[in-house]
Amino acid sequence: MLDAPQTSHFDHLVDLTKGEINRRIFSDPELYQRELQNIFARCWLLLGHESQLPKANDYISAYMGQDPVIVTRTGDGKINAFLNMCRHRGNRVCRADAGNARAFVCPFHGWTFRNDGVLQNVPGHKEVYKEKLDLDAHGLIPVGRIATYRGLIFATFDRNAPPLDEYLGDMAWYLDMVFDRREGGVEFLPGVHKWQIKCNWKFPVDNFIGDSYHGPISHGSAWANGFEGMPRRKSGYGYEGFQISPGNGHGFGARWAENYDQVLEMALPEFLDYEKERAPETEARLGQLRGMHLSPMHGSIFPNMSMLWQSGNIRVWHPRGPTLTEGWSWCFVDKKASAEHRNMVRIHDLQRHGTSGTWEQDDVDNWNQSTSASLGYAARQIGQNLSMGINDEIDDPKSIHPDLRGRLGGFQSEINQRAFYGRWAQLMGEDYAPAIPGKNA
Amino acid sequence: MTDLQLWHSINQFYYREARYLDDLEFMAWLDVLDDKINYWMPIISNRTGRDVGKERTAPGELAHFEEDKTSLTNRVKRLASGMAWAETPPGRTRHMISNVEIIKYEGEQVQARSCFIIWRSHLETDQEIFSGLRIDTLRRDAHTQWKVLNREIRLDHAVLTQKSLGIFF
Repeated sequence: MLDAPQTSHFDHLVDLTKGEINRRIFSDPELYQRELQNIFARCWLLLGHESQLPKANDYISAYMGQDPVIVTRTGDGKINAFLNMCRHRGNRVCRADAGNARAFVCPFHGWTFRNDGVLQNVPGHKEVYKEKLDLDAHGLIPVGRIATYRGLIFATFDRNAPPLDEYLGDMAWYLDMVFDRREGGVEFLPGVHKWQIKCNWKFPVDNFIGDSYHGPISHGSAWANGFEGMPRRKSGYGYEGFQISPGNGHGFGARWAENYDQVLEMALPEFLDYEKERAPETEARLGQLRGMHLSPMHGSIFPNMSMLWQSGNIRVWHPRGPTLTEGWSWCFVDKKASAEHRNMVRIHDLQRHGTSGTWEQDDVDNWNQSTSASLGYAARQIGQNLSMGINDEIDDPKSIHPDLRGRLGGFQSEINQRAFYGRWAQLMGEDYAPAIPGKNA
Repeated sequence: MTDLQLWHSINQFYYREARYLDDLEFMAWLDVLDDKINYWMPIISNRTGRDVGKERTAPGELAHFEEDKTSLTNRVKRLASGMAWAETPPGRTRHMISNVEIIKYEGEQVQARSCFIIWRSHLETDQEIFSGLRIDTLRRDAHTQWKVLNREIRLDHAVLTQKSLGIFF
């Protein structure tokens, strides 16, 4: 099973039987360098969404770990991604965050690359290089694999990585609750919140994958003062919800409704009319479990993508060092949504999440402080507790509903964090060299 | 009112507004905002070539702030709750307002540009500088001299190295 490392020497850092983590993993520079290799150069990472590149020759900049990449749409409509690095001195051939270009000219010496990666022109190729420089062998370095799921663009540097569908596993089936809930799927609004946080990248992922526990305390001030932000019951019934661990280190939390009335009862007040319009279509598309029972709230895709489904918020956490992370946060809406609803989603999202978010601000200081705790020698000798619900995990999802997949915990359970760190320990423990295209022999 | 008197009046207003923010007198600050205020901070990104000039997100696209009087009031109420952890204890800010230019004065309304440097210090060693431009529409008010009817804030940062935009501009 992917979630349970068997023999890894990283077991001593992540003890899944006790639910305890060694704080070293949040600050150790050597572990961080190993993460760049074993996790960020190997896993499928989110680069953006097809709606950000609607036209031929559109491009956006992105990151895979600490490596800058350019995502291009070539004239044939194909989406590609390349290391944003001139093959000569290594300069970035593209300094823009987005735009439209058939080619990228390195600002250093003028090497010019087409948006399909081909090295088109080298100044002095004839006169200086005597045509001995092999242009074909010096194109932009492509990613190992690139694929989309419901418009989301993912890539991995590892040519030997498993296919995206296999990597996402059952999480993809659950992602449909957002990205395939209406005809046409979603689109990303223009504009990205980008900001740097003095925390280890794993803390925000941990927070989004399964920490429903922090909501009332961390976000009490926002919730109580006009920034209600998540679906919730207004009166008691049945299951409050679940943390769902579909495998491969992914996870999400969802509220549970017994019937359609309860779906609407949990809707955010400003979205109620839209929910009435949307919910029947979703149930018709996805069935009762994904279209009615589950109201997904928060989740993370291993290693560094997170989302708040109901807020139309999706983000990646780019590592910038053991104690620095750069958040990129987008807002998405159903393509079918009216202009009025788009406005509401956008304003809802930015007033809660991202740079000025009334929710996000308080999270950021939490993650910073969790990270700084791992800098002290004495504190590092004390394990971090991750035991919530460890004896109450539900191994058989069919005991709840015949269509449910994955393993489950109660709505307040750290099952998803255990799965995330278990996957982390497994990948970190393997002796594995990702097959980077064009890698030095 | 001469140009100089008007310029002086707007300057004094901005200094007073800055003082309210730095002294955490947020109720007084809310009072200088018109009830119909639009308070908007678009996102800046890096653009080259033909896209130079398209650095800022447009209305209808994602922004850092897109607020009305209600949401700004709610943000203030949140700060006063004692549970707004990012500002508990409160940060120390210094709003430096300069380069004030009156662009237009018509019908008791002024359009003004002003630049800011804001210093923010929080907890032990969190030290941040925010730099930017504000484009305001101000209207005359008997009680507060001026009220801010419209404020567009152009922050000079693409990737924020500040931990959050938990302050007002």
